[in-house]
Amino acid sequence: MNDVLIIGSGLGGLECGALLAQKGLRTLVLEGSHQPGGCMQSFRRGGLHYDTGLHYVGGLAPGQTMHKAFGQLGLLDLPWERMDEAFDRVIIAGRRFAFHQGYQAFVDGLAKDFPHQREALQSYVWRLQHVTEEDMEVNAYDYLSKTFSDEMLLNVVSAAAMKTELKRESLPLFNFAHTCSGYIESSWRLRGDGNLLVNKLIDTIRKAGGEVRTDSRVVRLTETDGHISKAVCADGSTYEAGYFISDIHPAVLCQMLEDCPSVRKAFRRRMASAENTTGMFTAQLSIKPGALRYLAHNVFVYDKPNVWTMTEENDPVKGVMVSARVPEDGSDMLRQIDLLTPMPWQECKEWEDTKVGHRGEDYKAFCKQKTEQCLTLAEQYIPGLRDMVEHCYTSTPLTYRDYLGSPEGGAFGMRKDCRAPMLSFHSVSTPLPNLLLTGQSIILPGIEGVTMTAFETCSRIINGLGIKD
Amino acid sequence: MTREEIIAEINAELAEEFEIDEAAITPDAPIYQTLELDSLSLVDLIGIVQTKYGVLISKAELPTIKTFAQLYDYIEQHQK
Repeated sequence: MNDVLIIGSGLGGLECGALLAQKGLRTLVLEGSHQPGGCMQSFRRGGLHYDTGLHYVGGLAPGQTMHKAFGQLGLLDLPWERMDEAFDRVIIAGRRFAFHQGYQAFVDGLAKDFPHQREALQSYVWRLQHVTEEDMEVNAYDYLSKTFSDEMLLNVVSAAAMKTELKRESLPLFNFAHTCSGYIESSWRLRGDGNLLVNKLIDTIRKAGGEVRTDSRVVRLTETDGHISKAVCADGSTYEAGYFISDIHPAVLCQMLEDCPSVRKAFRRRMASAENTTGMFTAQLSIKPGALRYLAHNVFVYDKPNVWTMTEENDPVKGVMVSARVPEDGSDMLRQIDLLTPMPWQECKEWEDTKVGHRGEDYKAFCKQKTEQCLTLAEQYIPGLRDMVEHCYTSTPLTYRDYLGSPEGGAFGMRKDCRAPMLSFHSVSTPLPNLLLTGQSIILPGIEGVTMTAFETCSRIINGLGIKD
Repeated sequence: MTREEIIAEINAELAEEFEIDEAAITPDAPIYQTLELDSLSLVDLIGIVQTKYGVLISKAELPTIKTFAQLYDYIEQHQK
């Protein structure tokens, strides 16, 4: 029998698997699809690897937010490349700004453009470094409005937070701060695709005696004497374990718990009715060889200073993230650029009953138009980008839904709401003592958030078993 | 909604969601024991009240709700 069975091989599932296997626990990870990795997986087209959700990681230098965690997971051994000192560039309504690595450099850089806001910037970076759980109840937008009297600066400091859902009425400061702070400490890209990270974690699990199985979709969990006793897969195979961890969307998990008497309707309904975050549209471009020098920084281009409200009227696209991939051949010329923009589920409604590869010509036309709009914004930074494109692959929230099982294609899991933190920040516990949750829906999204959550999930098991941590 | 309507509706809802006999829900009955609430299922109770009535029970005021009568009072006072 396994000590721990993990359902889902997204970053959180694999991190839990690696941490627990390293503690000597017999660990089995079951992945429903053919490819492990969830949002970290990459795919290959025309000889190039394209990533799904990995763009850059913050805080990997010694003493910083993610250094210890990634060290423990063996992920610091991967070929991380430090990004430019000015790691994020921002263009809003034609004006250009830069985020510099290091909190003081960040302040000094922006204070050149906003000298009258230097004290506010100093206060802001202090707050980013001192975020507490009480900030789950603080509205991020309200905090920023009180801190910065210059509205353009409020938009600028928020511009790179496109990698979370910027919802003005609900985003907690806790989330906003975690989304921004690690990257200001230091920003890194992987030389290679996300599968490097996925394979490293799988390797760690296997070396410690654990296993990761794909094409093993769990459909039901069975309860015996108030505990989950086994997982049943779609092919009829069953697996017993002492502990179970769910790294899938909690609403999907609840469908597997329908026969469990300890899980009352109230819990199932709360998980099923929780709101999901918005999705993303991504245009992944391969660039003609020799056409463009590598950009070791991201660029966030906005049409207007409406960073917090653009998703309410994002047609045409009002903002785009431009992120290049490190050239794998060591050349200083890049081959790939991703363009990303938020895309609410409503924009997909027309095709919600379709499947991958069979969405029709109007869907293709929609994606083409969206790509053109993203390119128009991106060309504010890279003139002529359109003519450098060799191939383009697009994904929408429908793609996330169909490949990753994310309801409504939400890119950041379940929405967090500062007005109802008790209802939107979830415990890793469930009504069953040996069933725990992990992944981006639980506490925080993003690589940092998922990793923090994985440590929290594992600590419950490690402490429960009395293992020295 | 009148208090009577709130009582009828929330009692039926809580009995259904927490899978207990509705007859056990009386105004003076202790809410935690009757619904068998722990820290996790307490959040489920808050979720039901929020979804049904748009009333969010704050963390600070949670300890003041010990009986069903106090829950009815809270909903009645805060419903929009």
